[in-house]
Amino acid sequence: MKVTVSRSGGFAGLTRSWSVDVDAEPDTESWLVLIDRLPWSQAPGARQPTQPDRFVWVITADSRPTRKARLPEQQLTGPWRELVDRVRTTSEAEAGTTR
Amino acid sequence: MSRFIVPPYLLAHLAEADSPRLHRAPQAARNGLLAIEAVDRNATPPVVQSALGGEAVLERTIFDARGTEDLPGVRVRGEGEPATDDVAATEAYDALGATYALFREVYGRSSIDGAGLPLDATVHYGQDYDNAFWNGERMVFGDGDGEVFERFTASVSVIGHELTHGVTQYTANLTYQGQSGALNESVSDVFGALVEQHLFSQTVDQATWLIGEGLFTPEVQGRALRSMKAPGTAYDDDVLGTDPQPGHFDDYVETTDDNGGVHLNSGIPNRAFYLVAEALGGQAWLRAGQIWYDTLTGGTLAPDATFAQFAAATVEAATARYGADSDEARATSAGWQGVGVTPAA
Repeated sequence: MKVTVSRSGGFAGLTRSWSVDVDAEPDTESWLVLIDRLPWSQAPGARQPTQPDRFVWVITADSRPTRKARLPEQQLTGPWRELVDRVRTTSEAEAGTTR
Repeated sequence: MSRFIVPPYLLAHLAEADSPRLHRAPQAARNGLLAIEAVDRNATPPVVQSALGGEAVLERTIFDARGTEDLPGVRVRGEGEPATDDVAATEAYDALGATYALFREVYGRSSIDGAGLPLDATVHYGQDYDNAFWNGERMVFGDGDGEVFERFTASVSVIGHELTHGVTQYTANLTYQGQSGALNESVSDVFGALVEQHLFSQTVDQATWLIGEGLFTPEVQGRALRSMKAPGTAYDDDVLGTDPQPGHFDDYVETTDDNGGVHLNSGIPNRAFYLVAEALGGQAWLRAGQIWYDTLTGGTLAPDATFAQFAAATVEAATARYGADSDEARATSAGWQGVGVTPAA
C-alpha cells in the first residue's frame, strides 16, 4: 500500500511530494497501525482556506477504499505529523537525499 | 509625516511632465520629491504616544524560537534597542521598519491595522523550515533548508509581503482561495515589492520587480520566486522545475493545490500592476501603489472579489483620485487589458 504526502502552498507556492510503499518496508506492521489510528474522517474539509502562506498537506493512502485527508499546516499535529515526518524521512533516505 | 504643501502625487506628475512649456518645473518637482524622501528618512522615529495621541507608533519586538515551533519564542530585541549579532533578527527588525515606513510615510497608515499595532516577528522557527508567514498576530520566519532555500529574512520583499497579509486582513479581507486568494497574494507581492523599492529609492525602471530575490541557495537556477514584470521567468531549475506563474488571464490555472493556485494565478494581477506602474513611470508607490492602496482600503471590495471586480475597483479608485480622463485612470484600464481581464461592469 502506497502512502503519499503532498505539500503545497507556502510563501514559495511550490508543491512537493513524498511516498512510501509500506508493504516493502521492514516494519510494515507499525506503519499500518499508525495509518489505521489516524482520524481520517475527522480531518477538516477540503474547501477550507488556510492562513496565508501556510503549507497545505494532503495525505493519501491507496488502501481500498482510498483514504485521503487535507490538512492546513497548523493542524498537522499528533499522529498526522508523525506520519508525515516518517514518510518524508523514509522517502528521502531511500532516495539518497535529505531534501 | 511630510511638511510639504504640494502633495507627492502632484509632484510625481510634474516630475514626469514633458511639455515645451515646462523647463524648470519637472526638475523642481523631482527635487521636491527627493526632499520629502530625505525629510522622512531622517526624521527621528516616532515616540510611543499615550492613548490620547493620534501619532504614529512603531513598536517592533523580535523573538527567537531557537529551532522549535513554539511561539512566540524568546524576546531578543525591542524597539530602539541595538542590533544583536543574529543576522536574521536584524534583517527582520529592519524590514519591519521599512514596511512600516512605506505604509506610514506614503499612505498615512500607522502599522497593519492603521492604529499602531505592535509589529512582532519570530525568527529561527522550526527545523529546515522553508517558509515564512503572518499568523494573524505576528510574523514567523524559518531558516530554510540550506539546500534550496536560505533564511527567509534575507529578502525585504518577503517581510513586506507577509505584513501586507495583515493589512489585507484588516481591510478588504480577501478570501484566501481561488481568484480572491490570488488577489490577496498579489496585493502582498505588490506592497512587498513597493516596500523594497521605497527602501532603496528605486524607480519603475530601476526596480527588479522580483519577489523573494536572495532566498534561493547558489545551487538553484533562479533569481527569485516570482517576477511581477515577467511571470514565469523567475526560475528554471532541474529540481524545482520552471516558474509556473501565468501572466495572462487566458492561462489561469485551475487546480486544487495551493488553495486553488493562489501563488500561481497571482502572476496575472501582478503583471497588471507592473503594467500600470510602467505606464506611469517614476516611483511606483506614488501613483500605481496609491491606486492599489485606495482599492484595498476603499471598502468597496467584497471578500470574494474576482479579478474582474478588483480591476473595476482599481479603475474607480484611479478615477476618484485623479479624474476620469487622467493618465492614471487610463493606465489602470490598460494594465488590466494587458493581462486579459475586463473590469466588471
